[in-house]
Amino acid sequence: MKRMLTFCAAGVIVVASVICANADIARPKPSPSPAREGKVVLHTGLTVVPDARTYEARLQIPEKNLPALREALGMVQTNPSTVQRIAHSSTRTIMAGLFLFLSLSCAGVWMARSGQRRSHKVIAALLLGTAIIGAAAVITRANAGPPGYYRWRGLPQALSEGRATQGGLDVEIVPEGEGIKLIIPLRNTIKPKGDEE
Amino acid sequence: MERTANLDLMHLRAERSRAGTGISARLFAVVIIGCGLLSALLASWVPLQFSIVTVFLFAGPHNWFELRYFLMRLPRRFGRSRTFFLVAFAGIGALTAAYLSLPLLYYSGFWSGQSWPHAIATWNTLLLLWIATLIWLRGKQHARRNWGWAWPLAFALAALNWTAPEMFSLAIVYAHPLVALWFLDRHLSRMRPAWLNTYRRCLLLLPLLIAGVIWQLAGTNSLADDNGLAWRVTQHAGAELLPNVSSHLLVSLHVFLEMLHYGVWLVALPLIGARGALWGLKTIPLARHSRGFPRTVAAILLAGLCLVALLWAGFSTSYAATRDIYFAVAITHVLAEAPFLLRML
Repeated sequence: MKRMLTFCAAGVIVVASVICANADIARPKPSPSPAREGKVVLHTGLTVVPDARTYEARLQIPEKNLPALREALGMVQTNPSTVQRIAHSSTRTIMAGLFLFLSLSCAGVWMARSGQRRSHKVIAALLLGTAIIGAAAVITRANAGPPGYYRWRGLPQALSEGRATQGGLDVEIVPEGEGIKLIIPLRNTIKPKGDEE
Repeated sequence: MERTANLDLMHLRAERSRAGTGISARLFAVVIIGCGLLSALLASWVPLQFSIVTVFLFAGPHNWFELRYFLMRLPRRFGRSRTFFLVAFAGIGALTAAYLSLPLLYYSGFWSGQSWPHAIATWNTLLLLWIATLIWLRGKQHARRNWGWAWPLAFALAALNWTAPEMFSLAIVYAHPLVALWFLDRHLSRMRPAWLNTYRRCLLLLPLLIAGVIWQLAGTNSLADDNGLAWRVTQHAGAELLPNVSSHLLVSLHVFLEMLHYGVWLVALPLIGARGALWGLKTIPLARHSRGFPRTVAAILLAGLCLVALLWAGFSTSYAATRDIYFAVAITHVLAEAPFLLRML
């Protein structure tokens, strides 16, 4: 009976602490803070060029524009994003590395100590298979996404409908040129009349 | 002559038994496939409503059935398994306390939002090390078992966990319902071995159903989570962590898996190989034995029933708050599944 009372009391305390602690209630949804307005740091020109021969969108910045751009960007103070914080979290990287080291070490010890040759062969076959598949994936770029122009294919229609389009972009510093140029890879573009052969 | 006649009779009985089992196994397969299809259909069609209703109806009762099942599996004397059970119960208690204290520490300003992933990663690591210890202890009980692989696997998973702790926690949310299917597999191997192959063939349908749900809902718009309850449901399914995936798909998939979990604990396990009434204590060794604890077991089961009633009352009064409390406390049953599953292996 006494045990039961203790058990019930412990249960009540746990439930009460859950209520007090708001346990498992996810972090409050961030209240929509007033949208931070953008800050103009540099005024420059932009030329948008459709190009059927390229595979990836490119933002070409002439070298001579670079110092001004660098100076303007250097004056802006930014807060690191969540992704940047994760990418630069040394604690987590160290912990992951430590556990990976422990895993491989323990696996080695376990394999050495286990006398089953059959399991050794299975593990060796698995490792070899993983290595082959990995190498094949790297060589054939099997993990690559669709070509860049695929994402930009709906741009003309999206622009006419006032919708946004998202795609990859290579930032390129070019030795010559006037102003910043955005080259969009578009297939089946209508060539200007003067360019027709 | 008599011996030959006896052999013929035995053969006939065996034939009848096989025929009878065949029909039952077919019926079993039809029920499993029917339930799976119906769950997938409802989860895809009305995910939010289905989630709210299923948690209301089945969350409490399935915990009570799990408690009863675990009591049935608990030996009266621990014997050689004493260390195993000590580690198991200590781990369940400590990990539950730590899990409940995480938000408390967060809200009391003990750490900042930036340290939150570290706290989650630490808890996940402790969970993995606890499970690895249990596997290792269980492996030591049989000379033929070489379960030393548990440590490298646990450390590898811990490394993965530290790279993306919140995603790892989400993976636990999705993997937990599948543990029930493993329980059913082990239960069938003991109670109805003739059904095991049929069951495993039916399991092949699961990836197909999951792929079907993903294929159907991948392109759908996310669910409107403009009210607190819908927001909670979508967050629980991982909508914040996977912003590029439709929350309709995430909630549907999660509810579908949860339904399988509830189905196994509420229907399959109590009915297959059932001996005696659910409220009877004769099937529980801890209560049945002359030196057992029938009153304690009865009191625990009764207290469990009261908690189920309390949970229903709470859901009726304030569904959102009760849901939060339930999913916090429910970590106990998630943890308890590990040692009892290992005992069945």
